[in-house]
Amino acid sequence: MSELILSLKDIKKAYQMGEEKFLALKGVSFNLYQGEMVALMGPSGSGKSTLMNILGILDNPTEGDYLLRGENVSKLDEFDRAEIRNAYIGFVFQSFHLLPRLNLLENVEVPLTYAGYAPKVRRDRAFDMLEKVGLVDKWRNLPSQISGGQKQRVAVARALAMNPALLLADEPTGNLDTQTGDEIMGLFHVLNDEGVTVLIVTHEPEIAEQTKRSIRLRDGLLESDQKHEQRRPHVASQVSTHYIGSSQ
Amino acid sequence: MSDLAQSSKLPAVHEDDFDVIPFEEAPYSGRLSIFEILKIAWRSIRANMLRSILTALGVIIGVAAVVALVSVGNGVRQNVTDSFSSFGTNLLTISSGQGGFGPPGLVRGGGSQTLTIEDAEAIVALADDRIEGVAPANQSNNQQVKADANNTTATIVGTWPDYEKVQNAATQAGSYFGSTDVETRKRYAVVGSEVASDLFPDVDPQAVVGQKLKIANVSYDILGVLEEQASAGFNNPNTNIIIPLSTFIQRIERNDYEGKPTVSTIAVKVEDPRDVEGVEADLTTLMANLHEKVSEDDYDFNIRNQANQLESVTAVFSTLTTFLGAIAGISLLVGGIGIMNIMLVSVTERTREIGVRKALGAKPRDILSQFLLEAILLSCVGGLIGILIGIAIGYFSTDALSVPFVLSIPSMVLAFAFSAAVGIFFGFYPAQRAAKLDPVDSLRYE
Repeated sequence: MSELILSLKDIKKAYQMGEEKFLALKGVSFNLYQGEMVALMGPSGSGKSTLMNILGILDNPTEGDYLLRGENVSKLDEFDRAEIRNAYIGFVFQSFHLLPRLNLLENVEVPLTYAGYAPKVRRDRAFDMLEKVGLVDKWRNLPSQISGGQKQRVAVARALAMNPALLLADEPTGNLDTQTGDEIMGLFHVLNDEGVTVLIVTHEPEIAEQTKRSIRLRDGLLESDQKHEQRRPHVASQVSTHYIGSSQ
Repeated sequence: MSDLAQSSKLPAVHEDDFDVIPFEEAPYSGRLSIFEILKIAWRSIRANMLRSILTALGVIIGVAAVVALVSVGNGVRQNVTDSFSSFGTNLLTISSGQGGFGPPGLVRGGGSQTLTIEDAEAIVALADDRIEGVAPANQSNNQQVKADANNTTATIVGTWPDYEKVQNAATQAGSYFGSTDVETRKRYAVVGSEVASDLFPDVDPQAVVGQKLKIANVSYDILGVLEEQASAGFNNPNTNIIIPLSTFIQRIERNDYEGKPTVSTIAVKVEDPRDVEGVEADLTTLMANLHEKVSEDDYDFNIRNQANQLESVTAVFSTLTTFLGAIAGISLLVGGIGIMNIMLVSVTERTREIGVRKALGAKPRDILSQFLLEAILLSCVGGLIGILIGIAIGYFSTDALSVPFVLSIPSMVLAFAFSAAVGIFFGFYPAQRAAKLDPVDSLRYE
């Protein structure tokens, strides 16, 4: 069995809606292992976004324990959450969320900057990551000068920069056309093949089909959690497949 | 597969650069360096250049106003101080009427002249060792003066020869008239340097001595030419023509007080500045006896000493300068509010950027520093530009007012420190608001 990356134990999240208390998550538990590729599915209102925020350590659960690499991260303050997010979570958002005034290289450098790496280390690492997603020759461009698919690849490069425990993608193909979406999924496959653990929040069954495991939420509870066959799209990936790291 | 999984945790290391430290082993501090925060802050200032300039303009104007006003105020004060000290601090000036202050020789408006030549003679008669000289004086402004083809406007001062040492008005050529010349009402004149050059252009001062000039169609022999003197602010001593007091009363302006010829001021020079107050007290007693006044409220004269006068004038100018500086400080405050306003707009505008930065690992402290530094940068750069503009305005306006240009370092330091403080104070609230933004909400903010 691969290494256990994270473990959710009876996670509950309550929101105060006026006078009433609304339970967005009513007790969700599951484990995630190194090298998995998981789809988190569910209709709107199922608690999908809430769970993603908790998984991404953007928010604390009201109750329950969240163990990330064996460390309980469910009761941290904003300072520690920021540190853990920076070190363990790589975010890919639906609308890319690149910083518009920074060029692609600088965008990839942002998490490294907050970690406090020296400029030279940051630059080398960011170039490596851009190379990985096939955009190293455009490093000088601003986000406004590249296509949506390219933006998402830069976002993936940025998410990978800190070598995170979990790549957390929120509807990563939602703002892309089918072909570009498939390209991004292809990139995820390559990364997953290299051992990156990927969790994709999606409402599209076609995306879920491309993962190895689907977790469904309904009304704040786990509806189903099943491993399944992975279907891969047949697109010529632009990802540099020659990327092979040296062994330790 | 597991081998691949392991290797994926490594950055691309090429065989030809083994000396490169793998990313995993690279050191990191865990915190954002101040240099990085400065870079982020500077980028966002640069991205909205026009807005940044307009925001900083409030501070620029405030600081420039403080520096310029304080510099002009100090210049004027310096000018007045200089002219006062050119008379020496051991000068006592007796004039008609009740108190007040002003440069010696200036007749205060209102009230008739109550000082007489007899008063001055009585002071001389004291034969006090502490008194170096006595010079009663009358003056008449804007007199038309002629010499051959040239004419000019001068201030005629009728006085005694002691005027030279009492008012520090030495000659550069020739000499003063003597006391016998006063008794015999000689038509002698000692002219200021400007009068000499106006009446006798391109003539050496030595050659001016012995020439004649005409005041009110009466001819006078020029005995001497005065040294060039610093302008006393209110009147220019270089346009003076000094003549014997008796001649003045006979020819220029006849006046009486109870049948005795009057003078507007009596200047008394005390030998030792430390005796000034003692002499002042004695003269007060003498004058009160001469004028038969018992109560201080009835005094029809007043004696002023230069040191007191200088003090009160300096105090007035200091107050004025502080006051002007404070008013300018208010505009600095308004500039600060402008910064706060723009920073609040900027925080709202960049809510999503803040959310993204937080998702990528920015701590509240990092966001706080970023926005705070942006505000401080705006106000400090504004402050520096303001100081430069203030110096320029101060320089040109002191030049226009022909007062000395005094660069007040404390006022510049104060204005700059104040602008930095304004940046911190007014930048803190918006920055804190940015730091406290919830990452989940701000990521969703459109």
